[in-house]
Amino acid sequence: MDPDQLAKAFVEHYYTTFDANRAGLANLYQEGSMLTFEGQKIQGSQNIVAKLTSLPFQQCQHSISTVDCQPSGPAGGMLVFVSGNLQLAGEQHALKFSQMFHLMPTPQGSFYVLNDIFRLNYA
Amino acid sequence: MEEQVEVVSKAFVEHYYSLFDNDRSSLSSLYHPTSMLTFEGQKIVGVDEISAKLRDLPFDKCQHHISTVDSQPSSSAGIVVFVSGSLQLPEEEHHLRFSQMFHLVPSPAGSFFVQNDIFRLNYG
Repeated sequence: MDPDQLAKAFVEHYYTTFDANRAGLANLYQEGSMLTFEGQKIQGSQNIVAKLTSLPFQQCQHSISTVDCQPSGPAGGMLVFVSGNLQLAGEQHALKFSQMFHLMPTPQGSFYVLNDIFRLNYA
Repeated sequence: MEEQVEVVSKAFVEHYYSLFDNDRSSLSSLYHPTSMLTFEGQKIVGVDEISAKLRDLPFDKCQHHISTVDSQPSSSAGIVVFVSGSLQLPEEEHHLRFSQMFHLVPSPAGSFFVQNDIFRLNYG
């Protein structure tokens, strides 16, 4: 698959899962995965999913504005850089955010998230 | 290991934006032939091409103000760095907000170079 197509497919899958069933994100992370969420560092699939499922909102919707990607090196990794909006239920204004993912290939031929960094973009 | 990654990232970010704001042509020292830059969606590969792109940006002077720096160790002893901040151009009243990510890879000389660089303005 073409890298840009792969990045787009991953981004769609990630945010669709986030918005519909956050616990379903678990199989995108492994033991060595790292998430930095608004400056807080979390490691490992279980801890990452615990953080994401305990965020202070039940429902949300991500709308993606930009997706950039680049291959990261000989190990076959892929860097994905996303910006967009996050609409929380009951909030009038959407939050703007940026997020980067470093995807690494799995032996089964798919990808998992090794590095994940999320930041809100304040005005 | 964690502290080392943070120390390296902070030092890199300071160095990178200081060069950018004061001596933009010297940024070429941070890139290698395999380096990639995506600047506002435009993909550029290689030291010369990246240097040319940054040199030809439509402003002579600028000043970056960094708000956040996040970093994590990555595969093969690399480091990913995620920066947000604002970019001040002379005579422009309002700063431009931006986000930028770097993938730093160890160089044979014992320092790091930028293998991947992605820059995006954050519009209001």
